[in-house]
Amino acid sequence: MNNSEQAFEAVKRLLKLKRHEVPPPGYFHQFSASVISRIRAGEATGPQTFSERLQLTAPWLAKLMHLLEIKPGLVGACATGLCLLLVLGAVVTEQTDVASPDLLTANGSATTTASLSPNIASPLAAVGEPSGIVADPNPVTSLQPVATLFGQPNSPLFPAPAQPASFTSPGSGN
Amino acid sequence: MSESAAPAAPLEGDLVQKARHGDLSAYDELVKRYQQRIYATLYHMTANHEDANDLAQESFIKAYQALKSFKGGSSFYTWIYRIAVNKTINFLKQRKHKYHLSLNDLDFNAEHDPDLVALVSDKTPLRDAGLAELQKKLNEALLKLSEPHRMVVVLHDVQGVPHEEIAEIMGCNIGTVRSRLFYARQEMQGHLAEYIKPT
Repeated sequence: MNNSEQAFEAVKRLLKLKRHEVPPPGYFHQFSASVISRIRAGEATGPQTFSERLQLTAPWLAKLMHLLEIKPGLVGACATGLCLLLVLGAVVTEQTDVASPDLLTANGSATTTASLSPNIASPLAAVGEPSGIVADPNPVTSLQPVATLFGQPNSPLFPAPAQPASFTSPGSGN
Repeated sequence: MSESAAPAAPLEGDLVQKARHGDLSAYDELVKRYQQRIYATLYHMTANHEDANDLAQESFIKAYQALKSFKGGSSFYTWIYRIAVNKTINFLKQRKHKYHLSLNDLDFNAEHDPDLVALVSDKTPLRDAGLAELQKKLNEALLKLSEPHRMVVVLHDVQGVPHEEIAEIMGCNIGTVRSRLFYARQEMQGHLAEYIKPT
């Protein structure tokens, strides 16, 4: 213990040299002035950089950004996670797309009904099937697929416009 | 009659209160009081004059902006020191091991310090070259320490800050300070073995 203390005395003596390292002459005469002028400039313009603004508005986000800066591995992990999420999203979307033709096929009978009926029972089918559009007696309503974006046209919120019924059956002479 | 009544230096608390209310001249006074110690700590931590200058200025600016949150639980000196230390440790973590020495010159007294003269006189007959070489080796050895270890050595062995104050500045207990100091000195001893003669 005594020997190590003596050895540490030598280290301490060496470290004394650090006290003799001094900045250029006159450095401290200007130091406080430059600090004050930077404060004044900052007060005049407000926080300029993105990080300064972030520090004021969302300190937690600034801390997170700082953490990511310090640990690049974490950035890599986050980026990989995001990429995986993206790929997963794309795969799920493709699977949904594959399933949708089946739905259309299943709605085929409904399309036929819709083509015969003036009140469109299934607007999706009418839009999906070109024949439904052509055969529909009221092309104006059937060519408005935008209405389907807001749900069922016959819903209480979107009442279907009143259409005059006009059936032409093969048996009638009119 | 011959005694000229020198104006008493304003108390730190008064200056802090004035600075809080936007009095920049009061804050200027506070900066002048602590600039040397803060700069010296940051310089010894970074071994780079430009980095130390930037960090010291930014620490004082940040302290001014955060002055409203200063509760007065500790002295302003300890508080500003804590800001500077945290800022520097974060900076050094980002910089990792990519350091560039930009050392200040040694003052005139270094050449006349008997301890230092004794250390370098055996190494080289050219005293100036010996001191410059020792300065470089010493800074390189310091940079090999981890940031908390380096901070403790700088504050205690270079600047003479007591253990209790270091504990307050670094936000740890005195035992941790002592332990860090012991291991840091041990490591320094290994790095500077060629300058430490066995007794």
